[in-house]
Amino acid sequence: MTAPRTTEPFSRLEPWEVFRQEKDGDPMVHGGSVMAPDAELALHYAREMYGRRGESIRLWVVRRADVIVLEDPDLLQPPLDRSFKKPGGYVMREKLSVARARAGAPKRTATDR
Amino acid sequence: MTTTRVGLTGALASEALEPLTKLLRAMADDELILGYWDSEWTGIAPILEEDVAMSSLAQDEIGHARAYLGLLADLVDGDADALAYDRDVDELRHCRLLDHPRADWAATIARRFLYDEADAVRLAALAGSSYRPLAELVAKIRREEVYHRLHADAWLRRLAGSPGEARARLEAAWTALLPDAATVFTSLSGEETLVEAGVIGAPMAELEERWRAAIRPTCRELGLAVPGPATDPGRGRDDHGPAVAWLWNEATIVRRLDPEAEW
Amino acid sequence: MTDPFALEPILAPGRGGALHFNDDSLHGDFRHDAFEAHVTSGGKVEATDWMPDEYRASVLRFVEMHANSELMGVLPEREWLLRAPTLKRKLALTAKVQDEVGHAQLLYRVAEDLGKPREAMYDDLLAGKTKFHNVFHYPTRSWGDVGIIAWLVDAAAIVAQQALRDSSYAPYARTMRKICWEESVHIMHGRDVVVTLVNGTAAQFAMVQEALDRWWGPLMQMHGPRSPREKDRDLHWRIKAKTSEELRQEFLGIYVPRIRELGLVLPDPELRYDEEASAWRYTEPDWDELRTVVTNHGPMSQERLAFRRLQRAGTAWVRETILGAPAAAA
Repeated sequence: MTAPRTTEPFSRLEPWEVFRQEKDGDPMVHGGSVMAPDAELALHYAREMYGRRGESIRLWVVRRADVIVLEDPDLLQPPLDRSFKKPGGYVMREKLSVARARAGAPKRTATDR
Repeated sequence: MTTTRVGLTGALASEALEPLTKLLRAMADDELILGYWDSEWTGIAPILEEDVAMSSLAQDEIGHARAYLGLLADLVDGDADALAYDRDVDELRHCRLLDHPRADWAATIARRFLYDEADAVRLAALAGSSYRPLAELVAKIRREEVYHRLHADAWLRRLAGSPGEARARLEAAWTALLPDAATVFTSLSGEETLVEAGVIGAPMAELEERWRAAIRPTCRELGLAVPGPATDPGRGRDDHGPAVAWLWNEATIVRRLDPEAEW
Repeated sequence: MTDPFALEPILAPGRGGALHFNDDSLHGDFRHDAFEAHVTSGGKVEATDWMPDEYRASVLRFVEMHANSELMGVLPEREWLLRAPTLKRKLALTAKVQDEVGHAQLLYRVAEDLGKPREAMYDDLLAGKTKFHNVFHYPTRSWGDVGIIAWLVDAAAIVAQQALRDSSYAPYARTMRKICWEESVHIMHGRDVVVTLVNGTAAQFAMVQEALDRWWGPLMQMHGPRSPREKDRDLHWRIKAKTSEELRQEFLGIYVPRIRELGLVLPDPELRYDEEASAWRYTEPDWDELRTVVTNHGPMSQERLAFRRLQRAGTAWVRETILGAPAAAA
């Protein structure tokens, strides 16, 4: 562990969020939080609560106070149509049927490009 | 249980067998008794998160004891549980540093620091052991011990650096433990044979000096006395006292109902 | 699709952060109704969402009692940590008790994020103002108890916990999923201890049967008295999903056959499955005993609370150390 040692007086117990990676290639996933006075103990406790069984190969630990939260629906779920940004915005089945019928082509197989 | 002499080939002198069993017994008992004391913190440690941490450390020690006992069982044709538990308290061979009870958090941390640093020196001297099963086991244990030493060091500094009750308790614990700290390195009879056979890299007296040198900077930095030689060094693994007698009674109370039964 | 120029707030079809009750400019009654509609239709609540006072208080009470129970539940098993008869049992039991402490940590964190500091929760627990589950007020007498507790008490708890995995209060639901995963190992350990004793000597069999005789009553009381679904506010808010009786029936359905197949006898002569009613019948649990016990008049209630007070006082200096108590300023 590479956390710097801190010996600040008047340190407070505060929440530290713990993210964990379960196996190679997995994304970091939020696990939970631990109360600790500084980064050194936060790492020890994160390891205990989210890694003592060998269930994680990597942990990220960050002070909750340092996490910037975005949950404004106007920014994240704006009301105007955005289907052009998603696969579901491109439904082509009927058009394809029409095009194939027009071209007289046989039904395409999996090996066709 | 079959006796396997894995690694105990012609290359390892047969007269090394007896001292090797003594060494394994000493190390197993050190880890076992330390694990038992520190497992008492489970459920009652100062902070919930620290409770979980200390319990992991204690479980690791018991796990190490179990592994050493496994090696011992192979050598003497026995069963790890029987080797662990079917003994009277005066047959225990842990060092006197571990006779002290868990006491308070300062005493627990102080003793863990002194013991883990000593164990690290001992393990380093076994890393290249000619007895291959021990070398392999030691390699794994040394990796687990990294975490133990980080924890002990972090807490020792915290306690030493907090004026008032924390520092006072640490100093009191340190004073009480100091006469027994070096007993980890109590000479084992026949240890010269182990050194010659390449089972261990150096005799206990030399390891004791390495330990002292290793912890001296931290002790100086934190204003704590460097441990001197143990009092009554010849009996460093004997005479265990009432605290361990109580512990051992608890540890064997269920098993003694029927040691032959499956539990 | 939502008309972007509509002036009336409209409840969003899904979640997506568009929870209108979070809008501070909304009128209280509207917020309350919007919240209620959201939750009763399966919507989830996070720690930072607005909540009606009743909901916040209900979740906190529920989680706090659960956290207290994990913390106090450590004590009966802790007595046996030193006494485990083999290395494997020693490790398994230590790891199990460690997990209970870990669960207490997870649950106190959830409660803390609802606004109540951990020390305040300890104060209330130790002053007898908040409660913990009945089973942790009873003594343990033998290694047989260790097996019965780890198997059946944990099993009864996991039946309840599984039903909480979809709680409307999302931080609690997520914690329940983690806890259920960890508890499954405990139940296996407990069952292994019991089966080993059952297969052992006559004295060992008698030990575990005797423990079962003592624990069956508290186990039957554990999920609580029957109460009508319509009157249960925790069910209404979807904090929990099943009634006491549903949980008890589920527990009996799974575990009575597993207990009986070992040759153990359950100490209730009335206990049987009624095919016609599709329900387990049993002697009515002693609800007076339950009330007496959970109000801290159980056989071990005061002793265990006193033990906790003692330990807490004895380690206060450590907490002050890491928090840098004012006297420590250099």
